[in-house]
Amino acid sequence: MSIVLKLENLTKAYGGKPVLTHCSFSFDKKGIYVLRGSNGAGKSTLLRICALLEMPDKGKISFYSANDRLARNIDLQRQISLVLPKVGVFNRSVAANVAYPLKIRHIAQREVSRRVEQILELVGLSHKKNQQALTLSSGETQRMGMARALVIEPEILFLDEPTASIDDENTLIIENLLKTLKQNGRATIIMTTHDPGQANRVGDYLLWLKNGQLMTDFRKCEEVNMYG
Amino acid sequence: MKRVYSFGSIVCLLILLLSGNAFADSILCASTTSTENSGLFGHILPIFEKDTGIEVKLVARGTGAALEMGRRGDADVVFVHAKEQELEAVADGFFVDRHDVMYNDFVIIGSPDDPASIKGLTSAVDAFKKIADYQTVFVSRGDQSGTHTKELAIWKRTAIDPAGQKWYLEVGQGMEKTQRIGNEKRAYVLTDRGTWLATKDQLEMEILMEGDPVLFNQYGIMAVNPEKHSHVKYEQAMTFIKWMISDTGQTAIDGFRDKLGNSLFIPNAK
Amino acid sequence: MAFILESFHSALILIVRLDAELLNIMLLSLKVSGSALISATIVGLPMAALLALTSMPLKGFFLNLMNTCMGLPPVVVGLFIYLMLSRSGPLGFMGLLYTSTAMITAQFVLALPIIVALCHSAIVSVDPVIRQAALTLGATRSQASLTVIAEARYGIISAIIAGFGRLMAEVGAILIVGGNIAGYTRVMTTTIALEADKGNFELALALGIILLGMALLINSLLLIFQRRAIVRK
Repeated sequence: MSIVLKLENLTKAYGGKPVLTHCSFSFDKKGIYVLRGSNGAGKSTLLRICALLEMPDKGKISFYSANDRLARNIDLQRQISLVLPKVGVFNRSVAANVAYPLKIRHIAQREVSRRVEQILELVGLSHKKNQQALTLSSGETQRMGMARALVIEPEILFLDEPTASIDDENTLIIENLLKTLKQNGRATIIMTTHDPGQANRVGDYLLWLKNGQLMTDFRKCEEVNMYG
Repeated sequence: MKRVYSFGSIVCLLILLLSGNAFADSILCASTTSTENSGLFGHILPIFEKDTGIEVKLVARGTGAALEMGRRGDADVVFVHAKEQELEAVADGFFVDRHDVMYNDFVIIGSPDDPASIKGLTSAVDAFKKIADYQTVFVSRGDQSGTHTKELAIWKRTAIDPAGQKWYLEVGQGMEKTQRIGNEKRAYVLTDRGTWLATKDQLEMEILMEGDPVLFNQYGIMAVNPEKHSHVKYEQAMTFIKWMISDTGQTAIDGFRDKLGNSLFIPNAK
Repeated sequence: MAFILESFHSALILIVRLDAELLNIMLLSLKVSGSALISATIVGLPMAALLALTSMPLKGFFLNLMNTCMGLPPVVVGLFIYLMLSRSGPLGFMGLLYTSTAMITAQFVLALPIIVALCHSAIVSVDPVIRQAALTLGATRSQASLTVIAEARYGIISAIIAGFGRLMAEVGAILIVGGNIAGYTRVMTTTIALEADKGNFELALALGIILLGMALLINSLLLIFQRRAIVRK
């Protein structure tokens, strides 16, 4: 089952200052969409609205599954994941943090353990499974945040500046992880980044947010596709 | 749902606790701290309970509070030592079947150097007058207890109003604490002999005045009027009262000795 | 200073002998303060969570009230409960005065504001990103709230320990509503007050040492429990 995210005429303002104006787009392909734009252009706002954390002032977000519109928010929210720049670490072990999204979905314990093992392996944190999550380094924390979002095998994954505050080594691990996900071809990933190099390295489709509008940079996309 | 559970568990808890408090036959007796601290009840109550199967639960308060407990219906029987107040409360209809049970006496204690020179006087009223004249410190219970009531009655006869005087300290505490404060302040204290005998070893004080009939301390027992408070266990209360004034009860009181071997109370029921 | 050593000595002898009367008094202390604490937590924690996680009218006023009530003088609470439960009072028909239930009620009133105020501050001091993380991971609103409360567990256990400390040390309220009846409503603190009254200072101090030991033991158990909670989860 694949889900398509469709934005129609999204408008959002903060304290009278417009951030999004009649923004429309359809995320209908698997792969990685990279969202760029100057500081304060509204990238994070757009992600938060798409992930149903905030409501737009006007306009509509719809998720379609095989042309059926998914109506209930919570059902939707359970097939999408958002990783914020600041990972909210629960004061528990790494494994318990990663198991959290499965636990709240009432998934059986045996399945939970299996999936947690698998995802920790993927982000390279297997050896820190039982460590207190608050004691991880910032790079490891970011990877744990990714693992926690990926463990539910989301249809759509939103990443807000996933490598903003971490070192090169961890950035490389995360980029490799993104490439692996892309090869699996299961999820639609929508991410923001401030790093043009990163956009080129991992992105399939490049989008610009400018004056509250979402624009496709076709030239870039082709480039990316050629070299990607 | 969660709140329903919480509420349920509290109700269960309360029921559990309430059930723990159910006992077959018991009465609540309000008495005074000095009587309880003397150890008298520890001696006579087990005998009474064995004789009758009725358990006596004792709450010790100042005389004023003990009488008030009875008036409010929070006790079944009251055993105090403030005869005038007791008779007044009986006249007001709060209590019935009042009987004299026993007595002890009050003494005036103070520092052995006796700054007001009351030693050798035979009248408590004269002693109080001298204390007031010399303005030596006097520590009063100040708590509406039987002892306090007695003290105020003596002051009344001296025609001196000590209230508010610099040398007159109203401490609002039990007898032992009042004695101890008197000890620290090298002051005079009116105390019942029982408490004095029990604690004198810890005090640098001695008896400076005793034997005046005015210092006589009568203990009385009475039942809460069942017509005022229908829930009181009048029948059991009467069993207790009758036992206290019976030969068995009076002998038990006579046989009581404090831990130093002193006889503290003289039975005098008629 | 010799009397302190003497008291420790007597305390030791009392513990070793552990006669039935002392044991009863200790157990009653635990039963009264423990029941009051458990009920106050059952009622207070959801109240604290509601105050911390929802917006409700009069919230500020209510919090202010709870914070003020943390300092309620026990004798005032005791007197109030006494007047309520007295045969001449509105709840007199229940016949609860001078029972352990009356003491639990009074201590419940004393503990509730502490539990509510301290649990509230524990819950609001949880970083808002925790709630956000829970929501982004697909939690429903109530699941996210439970997650936030779970994150506040250290603070909540501290609140419970603070409440327990206050209750075990309290004498004013239980003396008034319990009456210090031997074998029924006589607990550690009222026994200490009584023995001090009688001038048995050494015994009183020895009982005080035992009381302190009990508090120490309970707090250690709670802290071990707290540590377990981290490892297991």
